[in-house]
Amino acid sequence: MLLHTLSRSPAHAALRDCLAVLAPGDALLLLGDGVYAALAGSEAAALLADSGASLFVLDTDAALAGVRECLTPHAILVDDDGFVALSERYSRQLAWY
Amino acid sequence: MSPVAEHSRKSILVVSRHAHPGSSLPRSALDTALAAAAFDQPVTLLFQGEGVLQLLPAQDSRAAGVRNLRKVIDSLPLYDIEAVYVDSAAASAFGIAPDTLPASARWLDAAGIRELMASHDHVLGF
Repeated sequence: MLLHTLSRSPAHAALRDCLAVLAPGDALLLLGDGVYAALAGSEAAALLADSGASLFVLDTDAALAGVRECLTPHAILVDDDGFVALSERYSRQLAWY
Repeated sequence: MSPVAEHSRKSILVVSRHAHPGSSLPRSALDTALAAAAFDQPVTLLFQGEGVLQLLPAQDSRAAGVRNLRKVIDSLPLYDIEAVYVDSAAASAFGIAPDTLPASARWLDAAGIRELMASHDHVLGF
């Protein structure tokens, strides 16, 4: 089980490469421009839901990007402490950028 | 250098997924793999997505004054890096012919890549 972090927008190849290996039981935390992948009704959000991985979004970055109020329902907002807790729960972490 | 004790060996997977020469990340990925191997750590290298473009055989970097990345990749077995994998879906999509790959490289599909990531102590993305 891995904690993935994605910091590029859904138009970037990072999302495609991440989706190719994202497995149920993994967690994905969206940060930076990656938060756009959790926009409700977007293609990226649908693909992420199909992956079976847990989806988390960094709260401050979501607010900054203006997507905080229109996130896909299965996304869970986390603050910095939540980020740390995730990194404790998953022994391995892989950054997609 | 004294041999590294077994308990301090950690398997490392280096994932290289950017194209060269548009980015310095591919070079950093190789440097990281070589450094880990120099410290007697078991290293696996995976070329994924756009990163497979680093494997094109006819790179000519003389005019640019940088090192030929494919030559570095071909020399990895000399530095005890035998495990080199290539994202087969990306290689096909970019039209990279299997017979032009380095001799030590093996094709891997998405399921194989997931297994690779699950079986290493550390995963480093470049």
